[in-house]
Amino acid sequence: MTPTLPDILAGQAAALMQPSPPEAGSEYQAGRMGIVVMLASLAAQEAQRGPAARLWENEAIAVLLGAQPESEPDFSWRGLDARNAELRRALIARHEAAEAAGDRVLQAKILELYLAMAKARRLELAG
Amino acid sequence: MTLAERLAAYLTRTSGTRTQVENLARIPGGASRETYRYDAIANDRREGFILRRDPPGSLIETDRRAEFLAIRSFAGKGVAAPEAVALEAEGAELERPFFIMRRVEGGQSASPFAPDPFGEHAAAMGEQFFTIMGRIAAEPLASLPILEVKAPPSPDACWRSELDYWAGVIEADEQHPQPIVRAAVRRLYATPPPPAQRISVVHGDYRVGNFLHDGAGRIIAVLDWEMAHLGDPLEDMGWACDPLWSNAGDPRISGMVSRADAHAIWRRASGLAIDEQAMAWWALFASVKGQAIWTSSAKEWRDGGCCEPILAFSGWFTARRQDEILAERLAEMGPL
Repeated sequence: MTPTLPDILAGQAAALMQPSPPEAGSEYQAGRMGIVVMLASLAAQEAQRGPAARLWENEAIAVLLGAQPESEPDFSWRGLDARNAELRRALIARHEAAEAAGDRVLQAKILELYLAMAKARRLELAG
Repeated sequence: MTLAERLAAYLTRTSGTRTQVENLARIPGGASRETYRYDAIANDRREGFILRRDPPGSLIETDRRAEFLAIRSFAGKGVAAPEAVALEAEGAELERPFFIMRRVEGGQSASPFAPDPFGEHAAAMGEQFFTIMGRIAAEPLASLPILEVKAPPSPDACWRSELDYWAGVIEADEQHPQPIVRAAVRRLYATPPPPAQRISVVHGDYRVGNFLHDGAGRIIAVLDWEMAHLGDPLEDMGWACDPLWSNAGDPRISGMVSRADAHAIWRRASGLAIDEQAMAWWALFASVKGQAIWTSSAKEWRDGGCCEPILAFSGWFTARRQDEILAERLAEMGPL
């Protein structure tokens, strides 16, 4: 999923450094700052749980697909996401093939995996 | 020149009366338009207005003329549409397209993520919310201004044009593969809904957060008509009832009323029926449309230099919540 945590943190810095136009009222500024605060809270969750969620998802998809393990895994955010993109593309193709073939057993497994993937990446709003 | 000075020049030119602009201030109002409040003073008379101007890059590629005409279509029709005053599709003195509405005073908006947003007024709010939605659905199309820019689709094809559009948005703006929403798109194509019972104006973004209420149980303005179009009236019901707009664990739709009550109120106001098969299709479609918007949001945030935090929030938190909703719906439906 995008954006990634490094994207979010860099974006927050960019947003905070941007000068306000003269017509930006206090209500608008307060609303904007409130969102920056929410993003910071979400970023803290992602920093804590994001890598584990990615590792788990990549492993779960690879198992379902019967994919070969990586010879030199890259555990950086970028590396995990690149591997995830590759696996997700293969998963989409496998799901399409299962639908075309009427393979309901495999479809059910994939739908179950989707639910687990979405739950593993859940973010909670504070308060 | 400041924006206030340019706006004053525009108002003076178009009205033929020297007009001053005071208290111009941007207000929170979504990511697809810049929204400002201001006072216009002419002939010693002060009036409040809202200016909606296209941003340099827009989250939702919508036609501001359609939004303007949709609002005009419901003037005086009992759906709390604000008064649309002026439209400048070429931007004139403000350099980007904009339109102006009369300001509705004394209103507040509820956040979709606030717990129990209406408190003791929940039932009254739900009654009005779904009644207004039903009135929009029931409005005869003949002579509505929105017909100037939107042609009615055929009842058996309206689902496809909407799905084609939003599936295309995902295809164009996706920056990381999204297997869940793609599975939902395939299911929607594979299991079309029955033909629409009638073609109505669809608000397109009818949900909590897009209306103003007086804090005492009364809706005083329905806003954000930018995705208005003609189609199956159940589309608005699917969107309004998406679990995204409700707190997890609260069985009420957006903290107002139960799903059964919402449907009953809408049926009474619209005179229309709710086919469960059609409703299930439009409910899944709503989650696909949502994910398309959040996908665009993430792309817009990056392309725009990451400066609008609301786009990051939509493209990240909201997208993940929507993915979970989609995955739950697909799991409940089972294999194709």
